[in-house]
Amino acid sequence: MTELLVKNAHVIDPLSGINGETMDIAIRDGKIVEEVSAAAEVIDARGMLTMPGGIDSHTHICGTKVNFGRYMSPEDMRAGRTPRRGPMHATSGYSVPTTYGNSYRYSVMGYTTLLEGAMAPLEARHTHEEFTYTPLQDTMANTLFDGNWSIMEAIRDGDVKRVAAIIAWTLSAVKGFGVKLTNPGGTEAWQWGKNVSCIRDPVPYFGVTPAEIIRSVIEANELLHLPHSVHLHCNNLGTPGNYTCTLGSLGLAPDLNPRRQTLYATHVQFHAYGGSGWKDFSSKSEPIANLVNMRPQVVIDMGQILFGRTTTMTADGPMEFNLYRLHHEKWSNHDVELETGSGIIPVIYRRKNLVNSVMWAIGLELALLTKSPWQCLLTTDNPNGAPFVRYPEIIGLLMSRRYRDAEFATIHPDTGSRVPLPAIDREMDWYEIAVMTRAGQARALGIQDLGKGHLAPGADADVAIYPIRIDEVDPSADYQKVIDGFSRTEYTIKRGRVVARRGECVVHGSNSTLWVRPKVSENYDMGKDPEFVEKFDRYYTVRMSNYPVQEQYLNRSRCIETETEL
Amino acid sequence: MKFLMNTGRTVNQGVTVENKGSVEYAREASTCFMHEFDMLELGVDDGDPVLVRGPVGEVVMRVKASVEVEIGTVFVPYGPYANHIVAADTHSTGMPDFKSHEVEIEPTDEEPKLVYELMEDLGGLAYER
Amino acid sequence: MNVKDAVCPFCGCLCDDIEVEIEGDRLVGVTNACELGATKFLGGERLKSPIRREGKAWKEISYDEAIRYAADMLLDAERPLLYGWSGTHGEAQCVGVHMAELVRGVIDNTSSVCHGPSVLAIQEVGHPGCTLGVVKNRADLLIYWGSNPIDAHPRHLSRYTCYAEGFFLENAFRDRKVVVVDVRKTQTANIADEFVRVRPGGDYAILSALRTIVRGKTDTIPRMVAGVTRDQLIRVADLCLNAKFGAVYFGLGLTMIPGKYKNIRNAIELVTELNRHTKFTISAMRGHYNVYGSNEVNTWMTGYPFAIDFSRGIAFYNPGETTAVDVLARKECDAALIVGSDPAAHFPRRCIEHLAEIPVVQLDPYPNATTAFCKVQIPVAVTGVDAEGTAYRMDGVPIRTRKVLSSDYLSDEEVLSRMYALMQEALKR
Repeated sequence: MTELLVKNAHVIDPLSGINGETMDIAIRDGKIVEEVSAAAEVIDARGMLTMPGGIDSHTHICGTKVNFGRYMSPEDMRAGRTPRRGPMHATSGYSVPTTYGNSYRYSVMGYTTLLEGAMAPLEARHTHEEFTYTPLQDTMANTLFDGNWSIMEAIRDGDVKRVAAIIAWTLSAVKGFGVKLTNPGGTEAWQWGKNVSCIRDPVPYFGVTPAEIIRSVIEANELLHLPHSVHLHCNNLGTPGNYTCTLGSLGLAPDLNPRRQTLYATHVQFHAYGGSGWKDFSSKSEPIANLVNMRPQVVIDMGQILFGRTTTMTADGPMEFNLYRLHHEKWSNHDVELETGSGIIPVIYRRKNLVNSVMWAIGLELALLTKSPWQCLLTTDNPNGAPFVRYPEIIGLLMSRRYRDAEFATIHPDTGSRVPLPAIDREMDWYEIAVMTRAGQARALGIQDLGKGHLAPGADADVAIYPIRIDEVDPSADYQKVIDGFSRTEYTIKRGRVVARRGECVVHGSNSTLWVRPKVSENYDMGKDPEFVEKFDRYYTVRMSNYPVQEQYLNRSRCIETETEL
Repeated sequence: MKFLMNTGRTVNQGVTVENKGSVEYAREASTCFMHEFDMLELGVDDGDPVLVRGPVGEVVMRVKASVEVEIGTVFVPYGPYANHIVAADTHSTGMPDFKSHEVEIEPTDEEPKLVYELMEDLGGLAYER
Repeated sequence: MNVKDAVCPFCGCLCDDIEVEIEGDRLVGVTNACELGATKFLGGERLKSPIRREGKAWKEISYDEAIRYAADMLLDAERPLLYGWSGTHGEAQCVGVHMAELVRGVIDNTSSVCHGPSVLAIQEVGHPGCTLGVVKNRADLLIYWGSNPIDAHPRHLSRYTCYAEGFFLENAFRDRKVVVVDVRKTQTANIADEFVRVRPGGDYAILSALRTIVRGKTDTIPRMVAGVTRDQLIRVADLCLNAKFGAVYFGLGLTMIPGKYKNIRNAIELVTELNRHTKFTISAMRGHYNVYGSNEVNTWMTGYPFAIDFSRGIAFYNPGETTAVDVLARKECDAALIVGSDPAAHFPRRCIEHLAEIPVVQLDPYPNATTAFCKVQIPVAVTGVDAEGTAYRMDGVPIRTRKVLSSDYLSDEEVLSRMYALMQEALKR
């Protein structure tokens, strides 16, 4: 039995309804408990902001495409090197760090749970292998279904239960967590070098539209009672005028689940553009935020960009090729048979570039104009908008109008006429930041009942203690203190152990992987469906028996079984 | 005569690659595939030994007629015989010029060595012979 | 007893539809594999126990003694080289990286003498690729450039490309066109619709000429380019432009010739250019069944696919300096651990001469050319036969190889983990 007592912590724990109380947190054997014995090890957190461990609900940290981002970018690897030190292994990389690099840097910032945003089922084993080498966070993977042939065929046949059955089989096989649609239909079209322009454009050969895919998969997701909702990367990312497409896509979501949203739309900054071309490019954050404000069934994340160098990577292959044609940087693409695709290019976001300046403003506007922080979560779509190590800067920008104004003065001078940002006074408070960086994520991912994102007795003892005295710091003025404080915890506690202290990771760690197994009746077991099996045998290049990810790949497997309507 | 030596994988080399002590591997890896016209000019027949001299050494192989190779070039399965005469310079890439070595070839009375003999020539000790 | 869907641990095709017949503790039959794979499954005479060289003789020693020797050798070395890795499973490769980091060694894999130049090209211009099934289901044009699958990857054509059933092709065999570019008229060239015979070293010029034609500047092309007629180049460019889906598979014929990575870069840029007109992909024909896995493991753990030098604590990468051939040819390393490869058969002689001068430990089931240079060799189970673990196919698809036989041999991972544990313990003291 190991016990730990965090004394005198200044706690913000939104899911428990705690907003700035000084209290003790008792921990036994990795869980939060009511009290511990006098023998417990004690940490004095007097005056320190203490919150549940951070959760990233959309980040690219592990798997085929992330690793290819590293593979093709020795220049990025050189941009962030640390040697082996104590229990820490050597790390490399700035925008796409090595797995240890990701894990240590997230841990130092107080993050304890990460969701990889895009895993191709055929290559899932790779994602899980990298999870094992991301030892200081619990991990889970959104699984890509955007160009899945069997699903598009089932949709064409109007058979939503079959769609659900295919999702159930695949998630169980590849040990996935949630359902991800990246440019639905577009990734299949891209395997012919084509794309779909928006949600009414039929996918070549399959004939179904992105709208039909989104709607059917949402219904299927709810039939399976999955913890998370459908996680959507809308069509038409990154093009001027795409906000209408985004509004259309968000409008497709019915309100089917009382416990959480029915649709999670990710990195919406990249989907909130006005204008008919780059010349009249502008922000359309307002109509998007207005729609979100009226629809509790929708949750979005920011996809904030920050100026500087990074690497873009997404399953959205055609978008990356378009980006390549703009930037002429090196371009990688990787289409995955019968399922999806991906693309990668490095980029530099520049203050002197008008489009980049507008993009920067849009992300902030989405957060500031969405009334409820539960509905707009803090992300950069790491590393697409910026590497996650820059999250504290975003917190600073959201909490300080002064900081925003100071930054605004340095960006392209024409930005002001194209964005509403200068007129927005809102400054977020500590509680709202806690929602946007952990509590909101836990609720949106449906993992609060698994003990994530809060500090009530029974919860996982994942705790972040920041060296910030919130009664003394005025974030509006002292934004640099806010940034510094969130950059480096005093203590990060994972599963009841101190794993990071003042910028150093102090243990090797061992992650858990959360995945979902929907329980379906015999009739809906696709592993026994003759048509599904035959298709698999004929058109995949991997045998069906070798496709499922074996349990050996799951370090501390946490399987979530769901009761379904199949 | 001067030739451009190319190396590469062959099925027979692949089949025997896990058994490098075998006569079959030695036979395959010491084969120098040559155009028939060049063989005429050199005065050698199928199976004749030839001395192949490269920038860092020489090695005996057996010549074999091949319709696949162009006049003026020879092809040798990737292995210890070809590498016996390949230079280690990589021009800062890590990769030697495995496929483009100028070699001098002449008939010889010597027999090709076995793989272990080549290794012992370079300072090794054969485990089995 | 028959085991279905076994995974072939020979080449980068990583075929996973092999059926093997087991009688007791012996593997007696192999179905579906090519000749290369079948031979590997059936195996040969393995080393019975670890061996140690003593003067002019070999002596059998225990695993404990052999592992202890290896650990001490690495700990004593100032600049150890840990080389090979393509012929083992990913779990073992991971231990290898940790070991290299611990002793501040250089870790490199066989790609440095294989597709290392392709990696360098990709680091300059990227890589438009796809999984093999995308090609199988869609491609109506295949280009094998400086690669000879019939000899080196015998089932590539039948399982993944030309002769494989394709969803979007009515008659895969008839509807696909095949172009082969090579200096030799290989077996593969014999099945080509268009065989482009290049003068040795002329590939770069041919690629540039094709790019020129694709960009509409055909007039500037001379009548002959590196032994190829302009007419043929125009025919090939037209085939590319008119294809619905084209796939290039290139081999060592581009990486091992003068120009090295610049040839690959030119090929990738041709493919990138073609993507402005139609759909095109390009991929390397990776040799060892898990050489790509070694690149993947190295990359997520160190940031670089091969040639990693930990001598300064951080991971440092500089191919041409930190690659195995260079480290050996400069006589820089003072000990070598070889796993899953046979450098004495595949490296230039100068490198081998240095191996003769330093302590070498090898993990390999069989005696091979490198055995002659070992102080100690430790026999291990064969991944895919009597050991299991992860391998990455040439297109990046990870597959778990199966253990189809039981044996008393330890796997690479087990041996290396014991070695690593000894090293960690020693450094703690």
